[in-house]
Amino acid sequence: MNHDDLKLELLNLPVKYLHQMARGRIHRHFRLGKQRLVELILAFPPDQRLAIEAELQQIQKTRQERLALQEARSAALPKISSPPLRSKVLSPKGKPNFGPPQPSVNLQQILEGIGVPEPMPFVPDPWQTEAVEYLAHSDVIVSAPTGSGKTYVAIQAIKQAMALNQTVIYTSPLKALSNTKFMEFTQLFGSDQVGILTGDRRDNAQAPLLVMTTEILRNLLYDAASGEIDLRLHTLGLVILDESQYLADPERGVVWEETIILCPAQARLLLLSASIGNPQDLAEWLQAIRPIPCHLVRHAKRSVPLRGLYLHPTGQLVPLFRNQDIHQGKGYHFHPETKRLFAEYEIKPFI
Amino acid sequence: MPPAIHPVDLIEILRQHRLTPAIVFLTSRRACDEAIDTFAHSSARVSHQRSETIRTFLEKFAKDFPSIEHHPLIPVVQEYGVAAHHAGHLPSWKIAIEELMRQGLLDAVFATTTLAAGVDFPARTVVITQSSVRKSQDFTDLTISEIQQLAGRGGRRGKDLVGVVVITPSPYIDLHILGKGLTGYPEPIDSQFVVSYPMVLNLLKAHNLDQIEGLLAKSFAQFQLNQRSAIHQDHLDTIQEQLQPYGPRECADWVNQWKVFDLARRRKSHRQPLVNNDTPFLTACLPFLTPGRLIGLPKGPAIVLRQYRSRGTFAPMLSVVRAKGTIGECPAHSVTQIYDRVFEFQPSRTLPWCPPHVLHQLKKELSQLPARLPTVPILTETQEADDPLLAEVLTEEFPCPTCPSHSACKKDFPLASKLRLKSQQLTKTIQALRDGLWHRFQQKAEVLHKFGYLTAGSQLTVDGEWGRLIRINHSLLITELIRMDAFSGIAPGLLAGVMASISHDDDRPGSYMRLPSGLASVLTQVRAVADSLSPYEPPPLLRSDVAALAERWIGNPQLTWASLVRSTSMAEGDVYRLLARTLEFLSQLYGLKVTHPGLADIAHSAMVAMRREVLQELP
Ligand SMILES: Nc1ncnc2c1ncn2[C@@H]1O[C@H](COP(=O)(O)OP(=O)(O)OP(=O)(O)O)[C@@H](O)[C@H]1O
Ligand SMILES: [Mg+2]
Repeated sequence: MNHDDLKLELLNLPVKYLHQMARGRIHRHFRLGKQRLVELILAFPPDQRLAIEAELQQIQKTRQERLALQEARSAALPKISSPPLRSKVLSPKGKPNFGPPQPSVNLQQILEGIGVPEPMPFVPDPWQTEAVEYLAHSDVIVSAPTGSGKTYVAIQAIKQAMALNQTVIYTSPLKALSNTKFMEFTQLFGSDQVGILTGDRRDNAQAPLLVMTTEILRNLLYDAASGEIDLRLHTLGLVILDESQYLADPERGVVWEETIILCPAQARLLLLSASIGNPQDLAEWLQAIRPIPCHLVRHAKRSVPLRGLYLHPTGQLVPLFRNQDIHQGKGYHFHPETKRLFAEYEIKPFI
Repeated sequence: MPPAIHPVDLIEILRQHRLTPAIVFLTSRRACDEAIDTFAHSSARVSHQRSETIRTFLEKFAKDFPSIEHHPLIPVVQEYGVAAHHAGHLPSWKIAIEELMRQGLLDAVFATTTLAAGVDFPARTVVITQSSVRKSQDFTDLTISEIQQLAGRGGRRGKDLVGVVVITPSPYIDLHILGKGLTGYPEPIDSQFVVSYPMVLNLLKAHNLDQIEGLLAKSFAQFQLNQRSAIHQDHLDTIQEQLQPYGPRECADWVNQWKVFDLARRRKSHRQPLVNNDTPFLTACLPFLTPGRLIGLPKGPAIVLRQYRSRGTFAPMLSVVRAKGTIGECPAHSVTQIYDRVFEFQPSRTLPWCPPHVLHQLKKELSQLPARLPTVPILTETQEADDPLLAEVLTEEFPCPTCPSHSACKKDFPLASKLRLKSQQLTKTIQALRDGLWHRFQQKAEVLHKFGYLTAGSQLTVDGEWGRLIRINHSLLITELIRMDAFSGIAPGLLAGVMASISHDDDRPGSYMRLPSGLASVLTQVRAVADSLSPYEPPPLLRSDVAALAERWIGNPQLTWASLVRSTSMAEGDVYRLLARTLEFLSQLYGLKVTHPGLADIAHSAMVAMRREVLQELP
């Protein structure tokens, strides 16, 4: 293959394949744009050129096979009439030509039901009540999806503990999150009731509710173990570790383990975690090492249903999956229109 | 961000279909900023009334957080109701955007995926344009958990009947990763326990060794190691059962006896000198490097096909199959990781050392490895000679040739020895899994003893007593520097500069600043110490530009935040994070006020000088 042919072939390839070829060959290739990548690939010494050409052929072959397969599949589905391919994706002004909605997909139908619900009085979910109740006599781990209302559990637990004159520590993995929670709790409980501790500052450290990052709590616990108590750990009644899926963070995860191991026996632990695959393991672990039982509250269902859409760069909006709403654990089938449009996207050289 | 959809068009489409407010996740900070730039002079304005509300809000907000008062993005936010939100921004700006979003005043926020695990502000719609993220040096596919964290921001309780995730293609997208991520179950989490120097010192301060062994046994790490070793134990039990029929014969340990006999016979014929130059570590590794074992090599993962000794140097060698399906040879000492995974197959005696269909299978397995794999902890023992019998027996006559069970031994040996090897390997793995943590603790304690932080009896020395208060990354470097008086009488600015360069572990390019000569010489000294410590603690990047930046902020109290930021190419948010972390490091030095009052004083003046403008807005 001569230089110009190769260049053309490379330019016609979606850039992700160029990154794939550049991996291990070009330093920091992910920083580079398409043109630069192609230049560098073309500048390879002759021995690598051959390897590149072979790889290129392989990629083209698999792409063709895939496209053929997809075409065959969508042809097999008689219901969907594929609209003609747009010859030009962007009109001269750089604006997409929205055009009329495609006949194959009923936009109205896929957007149906999106909107604002009637205002409803706040009723805690059963799992929320369950978590708060169990805290009276055990540690609790809550594993629930993002945005499902774990903060409510934390707040109720804090109220319970404060009513008993106990100290409560709330930790989050990030300073930013600590700051947000500090403001939220200050509004809720009053500024004299909430303190915040950071690496270099302590505001209102005598308050019954203390917000800090997990590292700070770990340090406090080390100080307490060596007898240099400088906080009221003996009145500590509740420790809340928010976002405790951070336990698996490669760099910082160990801090969560240290904190849990060193957490005083009389304090209840409340672990709030996003959905994880093995909350049962965490619960068994706590059960094994803590003097009080541990109760797992696992809530997997999203509170607001989620719907998937695919938006083509031309402005066409189609369903992402064959099923309108996204469900867990049942596999997935992309909507034929999504498949067709995406195949079109992948093959079209955008230079 | 061509060749994907134009940001303005994206927002107009979302508005048109009542899919706002939305969070648009993009690959990089740059992409977010560029997306915002494209709005200027477009016609995608929000109503005049909404502009006014946003303006009033931001003005009020700037009273508490003056740092955002002149933020360059304010006009776009007001006019178009869109904003960028990423780690390059100041925390105060991010809080303002989050608050605007919560109040429903914005239509879209362009954010990087790092937001996913961070601050929470939900929206009706989440737009995903990528299926991988940049992690340190390369792009990694998003995990199911990560995708669900992103998608989870879509749909607000009480404000939306339905949440929407919109996928729009960009060059960084693989639809199937997203399909799996949206519909699959999140991955299980694994312990990432590491034993650090401060951990050792702090544990030893309050507990004796027995208690510490107990505390380590309470870790989630040990819990999971036990789970794994239980599986191995089951396996071991079945192998022991299979070994039953090969019990004692004429001699109790016939398998070993035959092995030595066999070896001696062959040695004789080759007249090969028996010298074993393997390091103890390598010797400890060899029993694990058996056919089917998954290992890490400098170039990536591979599976062992056979182990042999090189003809010339007698060094242990491996034949391996790599991810591309190629078979190669490598010395056993080049193995970087031994993973806790073995693919069973029947080894064969000629290339490709296994049945061809197995080779294909192995290649497939290699291409589907999960991102993180548990490794086998290797315990190096002070090794007794390979086979104590060997030296002794070689000189003697063997009973084997005339033994009545000769033929039985000869027949059974291959299978029996294979089973026995496997059972030994399993026993070792189980032991390593059980003792791994404790072993790592002891290794760290040994280093601390060597440096004089611990006595031979694992008590804290005088240096250990204060050293344990330094509970940050690179603690060994910092305590060593303190011990060699590297900071005595140093100017607060220089101290802050050094701490900044030790704390900063990001290699995003900054700017080349003129280094004050004092700083240059301190940094050279620090670098020398860090290098000398590298066998015990990975050295920090020690970038001099960030040192100069921190030094400048403290050295010149008249310097405004704006002109500091202007003097570097680092993003504002990065400068903030750098200084905030430096503050944290300095406050650890300040914590040594009892034992090192001089140093604590300098650290304190540096902290006081540092806390001005933005750096005192938030706790
Ligand atoms: N029982 C409920 N009924 C209605 N709305 C609720 C209920 N519980 C919580 N919410 C609302 O759900 C929203 C999200 O809650 P929250 O921030 O606690 O989520 P989370 O589980 O902590 O998510 P994340 O993983 O992001 O931290 C809040 O606005 C809250 O008011
Ligand atoms: Mg939360």
